[in-house]
Amino acid sequence: MARRVVITGLGIISPVGKNPTEFFDNLMAGRSGVKRLQTDFIDKLSIRIGAPVPDYNPADYFSRIQLSGIERFNQFALIAAKQAVADAQLEIAEHERTRAGVTMGTGMGGAGSMEDGYIEIFQREIPRVKPLTVLLTMNNAAASHISINYGLRGPNVTYSTACSSSAIAIGEAYRQIRDGYADVMLAGGSEALLTHGAMKAWEALRTLALEDEQDASASCKPFSKDRTGLVLGEGAAVLVLEDAERAIKRGARIHAEIVGYDSSSDASHITKPDAAGQTRAITSALCSANLQPQDIDYINAHGTATMVGDVQETLAIKQVFGEHASRIPVSSTKSMHGHLMGATGAVEFMAALLALQHNAIPPTINLYQPDPECDLDYVPNAGRRNVELDTVMSNSFAFGGSNAVLIARRFSG
Amino acid sequence: MSTLQTIQRMMAEQFELEEDKLTPDAELEALGLDSLSVIEFMFNIEDEFNIKLPDERVELKTIQDIASVVDRLIAEQGAAK
Repeated sequence: MARRVVITGLGIISPVGKNPTEFFDNLMAGRSGVKRLQTDFIDKLSIRIGAPVPDYNPADYFSRIQLSGIERFNQFALIAAKQAVADAQLEIAEHERTRAGVTMGTGMGGAGSMEDGYIEIFQREIPRVKPLTVLLTMNNAAASHISINYGLRGPNVTYSTACSSSAIAIGEAYRQIRDGYADVMLAGGSEALLTHGAMKAWEALRTLALEDEQDASASCKPFSKDRTGLVLGEGAAVLVLEDAERAIKRGARIHAEIVGYDSSSDASHITKPDAAGQTRAITSALCSANLQPQDIDYINAHGTATMVGDVQETLAIKQVFGEHASRIPVSSTKSMHGHLMGATGAVEFMAALLALQHNAIPPTINLYQPDPECDLDYVPNAGRRNVELDTVMSNSFAFGGSNAVLIARRFSG
Repeated sequence: MSTLQTIQRMMAEQFELEEDKLTPDAELEALGLDSLSVIEFMFNIEDEFNIKLPDERVELKTIQDIASVVDRLIAEQGAAK
């Protein structure tokens, strides 16, 4: 029989908060982490905005010896994991370790360290790179460092499905526990792509938002008629997932229960999002949770603020939820924390979980010009408090056509 | 400054270690350096002394081991600054 899976720990480091409380407070207040970047390569960029983790100093978290082997995206992952484990007051006994694991999502892993190596070889023409370059850049390093740090000897898997990577990582961790392969999983995602090369690559694809002329922090405008694209962000979020029985037995505080998840592929175009594929993911996630469309009280949208993406997601929601669609609050918190790529699914699922916990819905900011093709309740510009939430959904739709939908519900014992 | 002293200073800086712990016979592992940290350190050693480490693996257990290897390579490669 399928087991119930609960969330007992939350950890996050993001452009709008370095712990879950700060993160959610800023979302509710509509504070944006998007800004004009201050980097030494800023003059080489045509689009100069991003959502960095503010005032980040690795030495606040790691010793010099540790830092020689863990690069930025690993650092973020370890910081989020540490918070999540502490929040869960998680202790794993020796005999439990083979049934404890980790799944993480990332788009490009240690892209920054790879770029450093390229600069040495191709630009400075130095015939060697840092000896740890392979270990710094490999996509599975974040999950592996978490596994090593907490002695998790069960599954250790990294998913790389672009923008849905960490939603899939959480969904697959949920299945590991539900289907009896593991009892405890750390799951989430990490990304650090505000690098010269990665920014240029995104720039070239013409999907990045243009800087708002009046206010750089207002550049990401999901569902607004004047939207121009996404803003790259960085950071990590990690959750502790646990077999419900184990969590109850040890008296853990339970944030919520994961009740539904599924993924689908558009199988149509490498970048163009497709409402049909998204509809299939949402429908089968609802099915897996045994829920009806009217059971969903809030959707954290994928809402990247690209012209096509926001329309397709709106269509998909309308298709699945029918008449109920206009009654569900749907917000894109990317308007504040930006698009964290491989980490974004985990960050946004966490926003949805915190919404559930606080009975409060974070807004979509910068939404002042309604688009007739985007006609749902996007919670424009102001968060809502004192709402009753019981079940929340988080959508993640990726380049490559990989869609993932997660559903969580207030735990009722 | 002798090779040993330079190495001690570099180690103190790179890994934020207290200099009085960095005695010649201090074991690298006991200082908290695993094999990867040592590889990383030797990369910087190459730059500092303008030498090239040979491809064959050398066993390095203590700070003195590093100094001895460096001195030997400087003599062989005649490239000290």
